[in-house]
Amino acid sequence: MKLISFKQSFIAFGVLLTLGACETDEKLEVKGDGVVYEENFYRNETEAYSGLVAAYDKLGKFAGAMENAPLLFLNSASDDFYAGGGGPDDQPGLQVASNYSISPGNIPPNIWADYYKGVARCNIMLAKLPAIPMDAAKKTRFTAEVKALRAYYYFDLVRMFKNIPLILAPITLKEEIPLVEQVKPEVVYAQIEKDLNEAIPDLPMTLLTNELGRFSKGAATALLGKVYLYDNKKAEAAVELAKVNGTTPGQPSSYGYNLMPKFSDLWNHANKFNTESIFEIAYTDKSNADWGNFERGDDEGNVAAQLMGIRDYSRKTAGIAALLPDYINGWGFMVVTNELQAALQGDPRYASTIFNAGASRGTGNTDPNGLITYTDSYNETGYHFIKYAAVNADIKSSNPFLNFGINTYIIRLADTYLLEAEALGGTGARAQALLDAVRNRVGLGSVPVSLDAIYAERRLELAGEGHRWFDLVRTGQAAAKLASRGFVAGKNEAFPIPYSEFNNTKMIQNPNYN
Amino acid sequence: MKLTKLLMFCISSLLFSVIAMAQDVTVNGTINDESGLPVPGATISVKGTNKATASDFDGKFQISVPSNGTLTVTFVGYVTVQEAVNGRTKLDIKLSPESQNLNEVVVVGYGTQKKSVVTGSISSVKAKDLESLPITRVEQALQGRVSGVSIAANAGQPGSASTIRIRGFTTLNNNDPLWVVDGVIVDNGGIGYLNQSDIESIEVLKDGASGAIYGSRAAAGVILVTTKKGKAGKISVSYTGYAGTSQAAKKIDLLDASQYVTILNEAYVNGGKAAPFATRTAPTPANPTGTPIDYGKGTNWQDVIFNDHAQRYSHELSFSGGNDTSTFYMSFGLTDQEGIITTDISNYTRKNIRLNSNHKIGKYIKIGQTLGYSNEKTIGIGNTNDEFGGPLSSAINLDPLTPVLVGPEAAVPGSPYVNANALRDANGNYYGISTNVTQETSNPLAYTQTRLGNNDFSENFVGNIFVEAEILPGLKFRSTAGAKLAYYGSDNFTPVYYLNGATKKDVNELFRSYKKSYSWNWENTLNYAKKFGDHNFSVLVGKGTYVDNITSGNDITYRGVPATTHADASFNVDIPIADKIANAYNAQALEHRVESLFGRLNYDYKEKYIFTGIIRRDGSTRFGPNHKYGTFPSVSLGWVPSKEGFWKENDVVNNLKIRGGYGVTGNDSSPDFLYISTVGIQRNYTIGGNIANGQSTNAIANPDLKWEETKQANIGFETMLFHDFNLTVDFFNKKTEGILMPVPVPGYVGATGKTYANLADMENKGIDIELGYRKKIGDLNLSVNGNFSYIKNEITYLDKGTNFLAGDETVQSSAYEINRTQVGQAYNSFYGFKTNGIFQTQADVDNYKNAAGKVIQPNAKPGDFRWQDLDGDGSIGSNDRTFLGTSLPKFTYGFTLNLDYKGFDMLVFGQGAGGNMIYQGLRRLDITNANYQTEVLGRWTGPGSTDSYPRVTTNDTNKNFTNPSDFNLEKGDFFRFKTIQLGYSFPKEWIESISLQKVRLYVTGENLWTITKYTGYDPEIGGPTTAGMNNVQGVDRGYYPQAKSYMLGVNLQF
Repeated sequence: MKLISFKQSFIAFGVLLTLGACETDEKLEVKGDGVVYEENFYRNETEAYSGLVAAYDKLGKFAGAMENAPLLFLNSASDDFYAGGGGPDDQPGLQVASNYSISPGNIPPNIWADYYKGVARCNIMLAKLPAIPMDAAKKTRFTAEVKALRAYYYFDLVRMFKNIPLILAPITLKEEIPLVEQVKPEVVYAQIEKDLNEAIPDLPMTLLTNELGRFSKGAATALLGKVYLYDNKKAEAAVELAKVNGTTPGQPSSYGYNLMPKFSDLWNHANKFNTESIFEIAYTDKSNADWGNFERGDDEGNVAAQLMGIRDYSRKTAGIAALLPDYINGWGFMVVTNELQAALQGDPRYASTIFNAGASRGTGNTDPNGLITYTDSYNETGYHFIKYAAVNADIKSSNPFLNFGINTYIIRLADTYLLEAEALGGTGARAQALLDAVRNRVGLGSVPVSLDAIYAERRLELAGEGHRWFDLVRTGQAAAKLASRGFVAGKNEAFPIPYSEFNNTKMIQNPNYN
Repeated sequence: MKLTKLLMFCISSLLFSVIAMAQDVTVNGTINDESGLPVPGATISVKGTNKATASDFDGKFQISVPSNGTLTVTFVGYVTVQEAVNGRTKLDIKLSPESQNLNEVVVVGYGTQKKSVVTGSISSVKAKDLESLPITRVEQALQGRVSGVSIAANAGQPGSASTIRIRGFTTLNNNDPLWVVDGVIVDNGGIGYLNQSDIESIEVLKDGASGAIYGSRAAAGVILVTTKKGKAGKISVSYTGYAGTSQAAKKIDLLDASQYVTILNEAYVNGGKAAPFATRTAPTPANPTGTPIDYGKGTNWQDVIFNDHAQRYSHELSFSGGNDTSTFYMSFGLTDQEGIITTDISNYTRKNIRLNSNHKIGKYIKIGQTLGYSNEKTIGIGNTNDEFGGPLSSAINLDPLTPVLVGPEAAVPGSPYVNANALRDANGNYYGISTNVTQETSNPLAYTQTRLGNNDFSENFVGNIFVEAEILPGLKFRSTAGAKLAYYGSDNFTPVYYLNGATKKDVNELFRSYKKSYSWNWENTLNYAKKFGDHNFSVLVGKGTYVDNITSGNDITYRGVPATTHADASFNVDIPIADKIANAYNAQALEHRVESLFGRLNYDYKEKYIFTGIIRRDGSTRFGPNHKYGTFPSVSLGWVPSKEGFWKENDVVNNLKIRGGYGVTGNDSSPDFLYISTVGIQRNYTIGGNIANGQSTNAIANPDLKWEETKQANIGFETMLFHDFNLTVDFFNKKTEGILMPVPVPGYVGATGKTYANLADMENKGIDIELGYRKKIGDLNLSVNGNFSYIKNEITYLDKGTNFLAGDETVQSSAYEINRTQVGQAYNSFYGFKTNGIFQTQADVDNYKNAAGKVIQPNAKPGDFRWQDLDGDGSIGSNDRTFLGTSLPKFTYGFTLNLDYKGFDMLVFGQGAGGNMIYQGLRRLDITNANYQTEVLGRWTGPGSTDSYPRVTTNDTNKNFTNPSDFNLEKGDFFRFKTIQLGYSFPKEWIESISLQKVRLYVTGENLWTITKYTGYDPEIGGPTTAGMNNVQGVDRGYYPQAKSYMLGVNLQF
């Protein structure tokens, strides 16, 4: 009997374990550690803020990438710079921009995609913000910032690619993806202007120290003025730009903006968010980026500074050479063209813009009288761009190439002065005063204002800050100035849309590519 | 043991004394096993009576038996022997193990089955096939030995895993088979812990009908590993060891210094620049033309990094024994192998311990356990199969002009050696720094100095325990709990260094990562077997819970520690807190859990008509609420005509089994959280000078995500022909539906992650053939086993609106992907431009027009490739690309020849694959001055010089080298003599006096000879080692080649 009950209990146990299989649905729900679902997010102010930060994140790609950095890409495509680098295939995206062999197959696809990632993060915030329980004033401000950011992203996209899809709400179903179509540029401009006009009233006039880097009323207003100018709404442009420029050029505006007294102080990297800076992209040397997270969202360094450094730069230790800047060993991109060098020759801004490395080296690395040695970049001219140049003292990390904390300007007051002068048609006392203010700051005398004078001034004042290619296209000078590079009128005014966008979509390529 | 012996004696003495009768004779005898070892505890009974006794420790017995009676000898694990006494008084009886008889069993998952009634397609490798082979990882045991399984090494770095594909690629996702070791699921990456001499058998479940018992995880095939169990009897001790030396099987031909100067000068001149290297000395008044400069041979960087005397050895010692109640197996193994490339930073060591035991409690209950522990240490060279850095890539690309070492006097102002962190050898000489080739490419000896002592480690515990109770006759309940615990990580010190202007480190770093992963499973099964006349039934039902991916870890970096070498570096130092960087984490996705119910019915009638039905239902954490559970059925049938009455015995077809099956299996080895929209972290921005943490949504959610289903039909037969040939042939058609893949999302969507959906179908059709021949001719034993598999892979469906999937592999500076997946083509076929000869003259360029008369390549120069204008639009663009061949081998084959003759034995094992292409991408195209392979000497130099290799130029605007094209592709066919072994076993009478049972000495050659036309190091190329590109095979960016080895070994048995 004992054996039987022993057996019976085994049977009962076995049946229980084997067949007593209650469906354990809740056990099959994944609980990811640190993984948050969309439905459990955007619940409070803290999460709203982190969503806002994510929308800002993509701003950092401007100089926080290699060939995908618009700063380097746009400079390479201008008549002021060659791509440079180690050879004709080093960072090929920059090379093809520089020699106009650019095509849908070789344009760095993230130039396009990073902007759209920024747009998507703005769209999700605009969809979620209304329902988030939080401080009403902050919600209003966050909404305004997101709209301003979306306007910024679309402004760069429409200027670079012209015919683009305008997506204003999150795409939530995969079925929607292939249905997206491009819209005319004027539709994009109208949306950018609408977003900025809605944003401006709700943005703060001044930013607290711990808010620096975010959108302010002045930044959005300056951006709107610039947008109007590109949209050929000159009168509206002048109105908006005048707000940030102030009533008396050269004097502080009601927004608090004023030209930096010394041009060279603009390029002292310690002077972040100075009085001349209207909109500035912030970088830091603290994110410890390495090749593992490089070009990801947590890589917060200025990478362009490394690319723009002179290759294998080395100061000789003795005598006068020690007075030369202690530049880092860079990767040799952004070689200044002879044309820009000639244009700046004798200009007070030369020393802040160009380093005449060739002259300092003498006849070559073996020249006993040379003060420095370095390796030629591809398309070397001897002239290197130094506004954002890093020196060894800037190295704060064991992966220095990726972690320079050098900020870059998007809009600064000298730019908006010249834009307003242009919006005014390049004539009149106000335009003259604006032009004079820019020149006076560097000790140059007045020249009669004209559109040509303004364009010339923009080139010298803003060299290397990413404006030149846009200026040439906007003012119709691109075909003439860039012909020697291979620029084809009727084609190269817009960049090709990366060919990956055409895989199974309704997209249409820009004219004359393919 | 002693107790058992006593018990046995008591029982047998009792039985003996009670039943003894006068007319009987007393028989004395011994029981030995197949190797002549005495078997204690065997039961000797007199047939037809209750009379019985047991053998003693020396295998001896004594029993009284009628002189015309018959003795029955039984012992667990051995074939029962009936021996007629015939008046004899002395009997020596030899037992042979059960597995050698016709009732060979096959492990089928949750049990075993007699091979004769197996209806699925299962291939086996047994322990005896693996003895004394120089295998460091278990999957190598399968390479070339079973049909339908393709195995290619991922690298020749010792300890590297291989890419295993069972009947080809099943999905666009994870194609690694499911490994089950003694019932414990062990992920593919962690299988390296096994010691090959502990393996009793490996079974590969290839078809859906067999795989369905593992349901949602079986689509890519299942590999079942069974480790050795102890055998009752005297304790057996065996030792196997070998030691040997390895070298590179092949070096590639690179330019020497003089050739390099010639080619580079020509390239610069063709590119419109001045030649960089002077070919004559500067003229002087005395010597107005200068003297030609002889650059000589320069440095052969391959000679610098390859070690022709890399050492390897292995020791394995095992003990096994037991009695009727308990048996055990325990072993110790030690393997050490040096790599053939920069041996100082290429080494693999593994130590293993195993203890397996089985016990009986009373009559109805069995318990048992397995436990394996391994400790692995891998010192790796860093990047392999990567053109960006690593010693192999540097050796290929560095210029031969740079010397290996230069004297201290080289540190003149302006030279790279003035850098304080330039590395020197023990004599104070600098490691040469190239001024011609820079970036990640650097002197490999100097690079070696930056990695000395760095290692990856892993420790694995894998074990299980089971209880089996026979509740009623034929009804068994079994509960098995298994677990795997792994600790792994790496321990690195990176000193300050200056390898060149781009590759340098100014602050040293001490890094350690330490991770733990844990998985467990618990299975309960009921099995009922019953025989009704000639009808055999067996039913299995079970429930299982499987949990894995419980992972956590941390890593720490200390910067600027006061040390210059790995040995001196310590975490026990006081450095500023800012220089201590720590990360801790749990796995991004916690707990992958599968809950399962399964059942199997086996039926046969006289082993003539056979039926097997399987059903399994799995629920997985990886699927959305709409498709949480999947059901995976299979059915298979067998018919053995040779057992039919109408079958006439003949000498041609001795037996024949025809079988067919159909089964559905699934694949849940996709990433977690695909069905739900998640929020990603680290979308940061610098605000107010500090890093603000940003978060945003990742990809678009897809709650309809469901299982990939693989439906496989298999039909085949097994036959013995002419008494000596065993032939197995299987035809299969494997169709995977609803393959999970990322929806090709254009950039404008702005998604930060990928959205997955069930978008594609794929089909694999093929044939597996295994043919064996076994013959004894006098003292010569001969066996030959061969296998051949052919497979055709085709994409049969892609989501509507999706015409193709662009592959995610690009090579170097081209934006064009080199592979594409499209309906009607094999998965991930190579894709690119087609060359059509070389323009010999400017007239050729001008005359190359499309139908409309447009010059297609107006900017090309003589010596450039003529690209085929496939779309006929008069220019070369992305639409001119086409399919250039498959990256997947179409056929694989292998053969093993075994001979033994009077103590001498010989093994020849060869294996091959073919029908695929390899993308040869060894040269860094973005470094103008990178060295070339000697094929460049046949470049185009003028009209008529060649039509196949373009001109060299520094300004390759025609993209001769950078466009992915048929120029970069080569045939990957190869056949390799993998192992050749000669052995000699000493005659027993010589060694018995020193109480040895077996002494065998052998010599082995591995990878002695490879037949291939491929120009890289090694045509055996597995999957890439870069994560995220897990399925593009056959792209050679500088694989660590397999070594050629010679070894001496010994097998001893006590």
